[in-house]
Amino acid sequence: MPGEAKKACSGACEECSRRRFTAVGLGAVAIAGAGSAVFGYSFLSPNALYEPSPIVDAGKPDRYPLDSVTPDVASGLYIVHRAEGIYALSAVCTHLGCLTAWKPDLGIIACPCHGSKFHADGIKFEGPAPRPLPWLKTWVNDDGNLLIDRSEPLTQKQFVRI
Amino acid sequence: MKLSEAVVGVRNSRVWRSVFRAGTGDTNLHRSLAVQQNVFMHLASVKVRRRALDFGVTWYLGTLSLGCFLILVVTGILLMLYYHPSVPQGYADMKDLQFVVSAGVFLRNLHRWSAHAMVLLVFAHMFKVFYRGAYRPPREFNWVVGVVLLMLTLFLSYTGYLLPWDQLAFWAITVGSNIMSAVPLMGAKTRFLILGGNTVNANALLRFYVLHCVILPLIAVVFLAVHFWRIRKDGGLHTGEKTHE
Amino acid sequence: MSEPKDFTASMDSDSHRTPVRVAFVTRRTSPHVEARDDKNVMTYPEVLLRAAVAVEVLLLGLVVWSLFWDAPLEGLADPMLTPNPAKAPWYFLGLQELLHYFPPVVGGVIIPTLVVMALIVIPYFGINIEAEGFWIKDREKKMRVLGSVAVALVAFLAWFNVYAVLIPTVLIAGIMFLGAFASPKPGRLRRWLDSKPLSFWIMSWFLTAAIILTAIGTFFRGAGWAWVMPWSAE
Repeated sequence: MPGEAKKACSGACEECSRRRFTAVGLGAVAIAGAGSAVFGYSFLSPNALYEPSPIVDAGKPDRYPLDSVTPDVASGLYIVHRAEGIYALSAVCTHLGCLTAWKPDLGIIACPCHGSKFHADGIKFEGPAPRPLPWLKTWVNDDGNLLIDRSEPLTQKQFVRI
Repeated sequence: MKLSEAVVGVRNSRVWRSVFRAGTGDTNLHRSLAVQQNVFMHLASVKVRRRALDFGVTWYLGTLSLGCFLILVVTGILLMLYYHPSVPQGYADMKDLQFVVSAGVFLRNLHRWSAHAMVLLVFAHMFKVFYRGAYRPPREFNWVVGVVLLMLTLFLSYTGYLLPWDQLAFWAITVGSNIMSAVPLMGAKTRFLILGGNTVNANALLRFYVLHCVILPLIAVVFLAVHFWRIRKDGGLHTGEKTHE
Repeated sequence: MSEPKDFTASMDSDSHRTPVRVAFVTRRTSPHVEARDDKNVMTYPEVLLRAAVAVEVLLLGLVVWSLFWDAPLEGLADPMLTPNPAKAPWYFLGLQELLHYFPPVVGGVIIPTLVVMALIVIPYFGINIEAEGFWIKDREKKMRVLGSVAVALVAFLAWFNVYAVLIPTVLIAGIMFLGAFASPKPGRLRRWLDSKPLSFWIMSWFLTAAIILTAIGTFFRGAGWAWVMPWSAE
């Protein structure tokens, strides 16, 4: 019957446009979702951090006698004076971020959390730590003070000569 | 007038009947309606197999886990009234709870020990369900929901662990968050987002507080509802006995 | 059989056309009742009452415990001083013990992820609903595959010196393979061993290893995560 055919057609077209509307709507919602994810990510990352400065003033280099390891617990690093010069070593364990401790009677650095042990040059000789303790960028400023940048680990050994 | 008559009178009153439509009576119909027509109870089935109630079948571990959760919600809300999520005030509030607030130390103890008990009970519940064979089809999806609830229990414990801001809390979270940064590619970034900084600090305390008190409990309630509802939908508790289809 | 039939039996899987299933009991077979319908009880009040009593007993226990034992509270958080030993809560001490043996990626990420994934897939594979003997089918192949997996696991654990997990691995695998060697007269123990699916052995292995690692981390680790006896004074 012609009437029935017409009805079927109009139904199909209606179906078609509804489907199109849904597709466009879903696309718009997806774009909005992606945008919200980007905004959410930037909202969750703080732009200003009220954390202490990574650069530490360690005072005059002559405070550190030859062949000594001086822990600076507040800054989480060691200042080591050897015949080659002075260098700074991070005291934060490369395993899971516990603060290591200098054992003067044994001459080693030990981590209390998972038992890693290091030599005074940062090389690990026992325990699960994956990397040696990093050497930190160290220099002397115009006032003659030793400065250490905790955010910049060195890739190779570097001594400050006095 | 006797007390029991007064109770019947109240339960037959227009106000009571407007809230609880099941009506009074100890017929099975009334008892079914009492469960079916209650928004919280209707997650459960109207009848259960007699054997499912035997202590040896479940050891009531799921019920006890839920009990721990309820205790934790109540004590947790009360503790929130005396706790400021800031450094170092959070720690001072712990001391106040211990020495100044009436019953403060009791509430904190109850919250802490219930949290430990919940972790233990949820693990025990999982192993009991496994060894009873109750994880098998058609209950496999509810097992997965249970695994999610186990994870949520552990996350809730972990986030709550930082809030006292004592030595134990600080170093446990320092170690735990450094595990996160071991994840390849996105680990360090995830750690930064969860801590809200490079170190465990005031931002981390606030984020853990929000996770512990709002986000994780809400997610847990949703999954709990699905978990209980699926018990009914999957044919009731598994009793380990063959029954007629 | 020569009896006259006044019906025809046919198979049909369309539940709309044939909604009723009929069981034909011929003369040679008899209806075998494996189980009867369980008795049911009403949720309200029977189940609710029991749940309430269970929760009340729990609450009572926790209240008494909380009245007599105080929750731990150490000194104010100090980023400059790591306590020695620094321990996580007890339920993470198994994980912390693993971190002592493995690099963080393995102990902190890969192993926990594998455990969670294994827990999720357990109901989806190797369901042994009929409790059929595990070793009956493909015995040779199963022995080869599982044997090499067990040897690889033991070698991996030995490489990292994880004897705390190695010993239960060897034990559980040994008990599992015990079921594979059929004896002429299988006893009850042998039948029990044989009836367990693979997931049972994996789960038991996980449970044993988790308990041992947690116990070691809780009781046997002292300063610097060194091995100490729990009864030896600090």
